Amino acid sequence: MAFDIDNYTATSTSVMWGDLDFGDFETNPLPESTLRSLRYMCDIEYHTVCYLRDLLVTPSHKEADVSAFMTMWNREEFWHGEALAAVLGAHGITVDFDELKATRLKLGWKDRLDPIKQSLLGNIVGKDFIAVHMIWGAANEWSAVAAYNRLAELEQHPVLAVLLKRIAKQEARHVAFYATQARERLAKSKKAQVLARFALKNAWGPVGSSVMEPAEVTHVMGHIFAGEEGLREIRKLDEHISRMPGLEGLTIVETSMKKYGVSAGAAA
Amino acid sequence: MPEHQETSVGRADFPAPDFDVRDFARTAAGSHRESMDLTAYRSAPLSDATLRIVRYLQIVERATMTHLRSVLVTATHKDARITAFLTTWAFEKYWIADALEQVLLAHQPEGAEPDRSPFRTPVERTIRESIVANIIGVPMIAVHMTLGTVDEWLTQAAYRRLVALDPNPEFDRTVATFLEIKQRQLSFFEAQSRFRLTESPQARKLARKRLAKTPWPIGAKAEPAHETHFFFDHLFVTAPALVAELDERIDTLPGQSGLALIRKAARL
Repeated sequence: MAFDIDNYTATSTSVMWGDLDFGDFETNPLPESTLRSLRYMCDIEYHTVCYLRDLLVTPSHKEADVSAFMTMWNREEFWHGEALAAVLGAHGITVDFDELKATRLKLGWKDRLDPIKQSLLGNIVGKDFIAVHMIWGAANEWSAVAAYNRLAELEQHPVLAVLLKRIAKQEARHVAFYATQARERLAKSKKAQVLARFALKNAWGPVGSSVMEPAEVTHVMGHIFAGEEGLREIRKLDEHISRMPGLEGLTIVETSMKKYGVSAGAAA
Repeated sequence: MPEHQETSVGRADFPAPDFDVRDFARTAAGSHRESMDLTAYRSAPLSDATLRIVRYLQIVERATMTHLRSVLVTATHKDARITAFLTTWAFEKYWIADALEQVLLAHQPEGAEPDRSPFRTPVERTIRESIVANIIGVPMIAVHMTLGTVDEWLTQAAYRRLVALDPNPEFDRTVATFLEIKQRQLSFFEAQSRFRLTESPQARKLARKRLAKTPWPIGAKAEPAHETHFFFDHLFVTAPALVAELDERIDTLPGQSGLALIRKAARL
């Protein structure tokens, strides 16, 4: 299945919420634990630009389609941040740019060295490394779709559910791009398959786990993916990934969720 | 959407206080395809020289991801206000480049395919750049904002000169739209640049060094040297007063006087 980049860019919009009645949050506010999860998701959306940076130091950006996608994707994710910030704002929680800056500053040297490491790797192995980024992106976007849809179902809040479904719909288009790219690139190169398998197995973690405090990761992943239903979602994610050329048998999502204490028995 | 307070500090304590990044993001200019009358070029085409410059500008405008790469691997990416700005900036530039591509296609036989070959990018220097820039830290932000300012001055002058040399009602209209978009982008870069240069002697010194070393316009490296020469010969060598005026404007940036950047770029 080809991904139509022209259609994607032409129809890329910032997610809408002006038509939703946020006044509903006054009479029907979200519980503390949901706000905590939304805060996490909001931060991650805003930090997309940091992932963009990691992508840009590899040769990926030289390809016209990839470059066009990144421009729109980065902006859509920024707007997801704005939308979630508006929900938090309706509950008296202010997310400002200075605070986001503080989170990024806290990352310190580990983060600073990251682009160098990636750039070294990316430029040594060249084109094959693009495949790694694409499957990585696909895994993250699949997780995002699952997380937003699941939170919408768990919460059953009339306004929040509509907004989260809208966000999930945009994330699903990101999945389509990343998965198409990953499938094609992995199918073409055995070396890319080996690299991708190695990177996912050794370095993948739930979205945001490299930026947020471990306690927050545990809360959010537990909140969204705990219990039987959650485990089913987790396994679906692993199925998506392991259906890619050369990635058979990987269970990276279930493994990393266990690491953060999320399991079928531990409902949040 | 509730307008969030971007910071709690006083207005004089942070750069570009009058620029509302959230409003910029909200009112970003997207695709221009609907508002362009491309059939007009059939009866009133642009000259070959103009089209050559249009092609050059298209490539320079779309090189945002390459530019973002060198910006995001430095301390600049920590500043959430700047990354929010750059997210929208890249989006607007994508659509400017797209509009230029449409103008080019309108001058080709029907059914011509847009150029989708991989971008030419400068020699990979990301690793060195990242190490150096992170040692320098915050003053590097001033450099990036100043580069943005000078580049806006230069490219805006180029668009104005282009339509003055080859007047065409349809193209004039398109360029007028671009100039409006670019003027708003400039207001952010310039306010950031002036504030940061005024604050820090180190930033002034560093910016001076970097400005002198930068190939103008930003993105010029994506094109062979003879195309950049043609850009300057056609638009600027024929207008020495404009060159002097631009250099005088650069002189007004704190600590940046006497660089004669545009005169040197035009090889005058």
